[in-house]
Amino acid sequence: MSTIPAPLGQRPRGDKVRGTIFYVLLLISVAVGFIVLFTLIVDVVQKGIGYIDPLFFTEPNNPTNPQEAGAKPAILGTIYLMVLLLMFVVPIGVGTAIYLEEYADRERWYNRLLELNIQNLAAVPSIVYGILGLAFLVRGLGLGRVLLAGALILTLLVLPTVIVASREAIRSVPDSIRQGAYALGATQWQVVRRQVLPAAIPGIATGSILALARAIGETAPLLLVGALTYVTVDPSLLGSFTALPVQIYQWIARPQEEFRYLAAAGIMVLLAILLTMNAFAIWLRNRYQRRW
Amino acid sequence: MRVTLQAELDQLEAALQEEGALVLRALRGCLNALEQSDVELADEVIAFDDEIDQSYLSIEEGIQSLLARQTPVAVDLRLVLAILHNNLHLERMADYCVTIAKLTKLVADVPHDQTILEGFDEMGTRAEEMIRVALDSFRDRNAQRAESLVDLDELIDRANRRVVGHVLSLGSDLALREWGLRMIIVSRCLERIGDHAVDIGEQTAYLVSGEFREFTDASHDPGTTPRDL
Amino acid sequence: MPDMESAPAAPATIAGLDEKILTERREAVSRTRRDVLFDVDGLTVSYADVPALKNVSLEIYKNFVTAFIGPSGCGKSTFIRCFNRMNDLIPTASVEGKILYHGTDLYGHEVDSVEVRKRIGMVFQKPNPFPKSIYDNVAFGPRILGWKKELDDRVERALRNAALWDEVKNRLKSSAYGLSGGQQQRLCIARCLAVEPDVLLMDEPASALDPISTTAIEDLMHTLKRDYTIVIVTHNMQQAARVADMTAFFSVEVDEEQDRRTGILVEYDETPTIFTNPGDKRTEDYVTGRFG
Repeated sequence: MSTIPAPLGQRPRGDKVRGTIFYVLLLISVAVGFIVLFTLIVDVVQKGIGYIDPLFFTEPNNPTNPQEAGAKPAILGTIYLMVLLLMFVVPIGVGTAIYLEEYADRERWYNRLLELNIQNLAAVPSIVYGILGLAFLVRGLGLGRVLLAGALILTLLVLPTVIVASREAIRSVPDSIRQGAYALGATQWQVVRRQVLPAAIPGIATGSILALARAIGETAPLLLVGALTYVTVDPSLLGSFTALPVQIYQWIARPQEEFRYLAAAGIMVLLAILLTMNAFAIWLRNRYQRRW
Repeated sequence: MRVTLQAELDQLEAALQEEGALVLRALRGCLNALEQSDVELADEVIAFDDEIDQSYLSIEEGIQSLLARQTPVAVDLRLVLAILHNNLHLERMADYCVTIAKLTKLVADVPHDQTILEGFDEMGTRAEEMIRVALDSFRDRNAQRAESLVDLDELIDRANRRVVGHVLSLGSDLALREWGLRMIIVSRCLERIGDHAVDIGEQTAYLVSGEFREFTDASHDPGTTPRDL
Repeated sequence: MPDMESAPAAPATIAGLDEKILTERREAVSRTRRDVLFDVDGLTVSYADVPALKNVSLEIYKNFVTAFIGPSGCGKSTFIRCFNRMNDLIPTASVEGKILYHGTDLYGHEVDSVEVRKRIGMVFQKPNPFPKSIYDNVAFGPRILGWKKELDDRVERALRNAALWDEVKNRLKSSAYGLSGGQQQRLCIARCLAVEPDVLLMDEPASALDPISTTAIEDLMHTLKRDYTIVIVTHNMQQAARVADMTAFFSVEVDEEQDRRTGILVEYDETPTIFTNPGDKRTEDYVTGRFG
């Protein structure tokens, strides 16, 4: 008795149904996320658009008169924090990554400890960093509640992210490149400096910008380290300071409804900065993507 | 491309042509010795065979090495196999020259018949011509010219038959008859040299066409070739 | 009395016997003169104290192409990497025995592996051009050696010697990844040549290439051996037969009790001998393809 093979082009119905259900579930998940995000943004823009004017960018906060309140110190504070953050976190993070990937002997106990430490640090809640900053930097070192302290604590916060991203970037440089360089008589330092690092820079840059984007929204540690909510002067390195998230937080807490609109405006500015940074990171990554 | 392979093939072919030149010298030498009953010259021809043997062995070794290392295919392979065969044919020709020289020595003091010697002069010249044509057509990869060797061989074959006929009519002089018998062998040697030259021509045809084919088939009447059928 | 000497010479039917061929034949004969460049004595290489290659002794001759052949796992790649101390980059590797180069033991205490690699270059199985321009690839070696002057000349010379100049001279600044596989490998060879080494080590240089590129590389080896000493590892024994002057056959020794496989040198001789009449049965089994 010969069996006739099933004619081509006909899938069993069970498979088809299952496939369709799965596809629909996927679409629903995407839709949920998208709809929620969309709703939030629309809400914020509706509330805040009216308060985005030159005043917003030039005037300091005015707790009594929302019409004349601006976010200039906050915006400047955020910008200064970011700059300082970059200056601190990139050398330390990249340096650590290079050490761990290129120089460290994995067998040694202190290197294993170091790796463990870094992984743990990434999991620490940001408020703990705030307490740390308060205890060691503000009080312990006597820095006081200043911009520098804020920058330093943010550095610690995002350091693990930068280290991990840098390590990934360095690891993604194929070993054949290193071998080729060694075989030409390069020292380890020459190999790192002239082959590994240049090839890893796109990944490092992307990781750093993403770390920055995360740090920009941190509020809790900044509060603990002394970001004030009413600052009239422009921030300086060793002076009192504030930052956008803190300012937004303060506005929301006010009873007058107009301050909420101000807060929405602040959120819009923050989001705009965030989106720009992320877009830049993606552009960077695409531009320098190498096909090994 | 394949610089080494090409260089080695060129060298082998050059060595073969060189060997051909040596064989021509041996042939001319043994013919002269025969004509003039020159025993010293005959000895030189016999000694000269060592050089040809050396050349033969060196080419054999070269072929072995080339086949093992370069794994030639297609026309390269056919060239190597053709050189292998021609090497053997040339070496056999040289051996026949030695035989003629030895026979010359053997009958140096014996009276001889001039007609037959003239016949050998003609056969010898013919054989020389055939060797040159064979080597030239091999070098030039000229299969048509190689096939013309068949006709030249026909002339030697006829001359061979005439010599035999003459010897049979030499009469009752015992010494002359002994000489005659030896000369039949000489004649046969020259005829075989001609055959080997034809064989070299067949190698040229093989090299060019890739087909194994004899120019003439012994089972057919002389004068017809398988192509005529 | 006419004699052999006065016998009329045969008319010139000596085909192709021109000067070039005569020279090559003379050169082939003179190649029997062997200058020892490397003297390997009792070399054993172990990974984590397990010997991978045991007790190898042989001599490498100057301006020869020497090939290492053998089944996989016989240690031939490990062996070739000893000549430029690339095994140093593997933490678990240890080397006993000596390799004398110009009389000095490469593994002696006072010898710096970086210096060794400047004199002994290496080309790898998979072409590994740096993610830079063609020019920068070739210039990398001279630059790290501090040879800043006449860089353009050095690059051109190296590319010419690697038979690549004509194909790339108009696009030296373009990316090395735009080249085909065969061209990339020649670029890697040019990169090695730019530092003017004595020796070129090639670890299966053509195994990742198509047949035409392979032939190009083999022809190149033939040209290069006039000025350099070449050692190649190949799993393609026909390639060894085609290019090498000397061939070393390695095999695997199995220790059933300890479940160990160790590489050993079985036979080392002139290539024609190895491929026409090898002395050891194991060699014959391998080259005839009867290796079990």
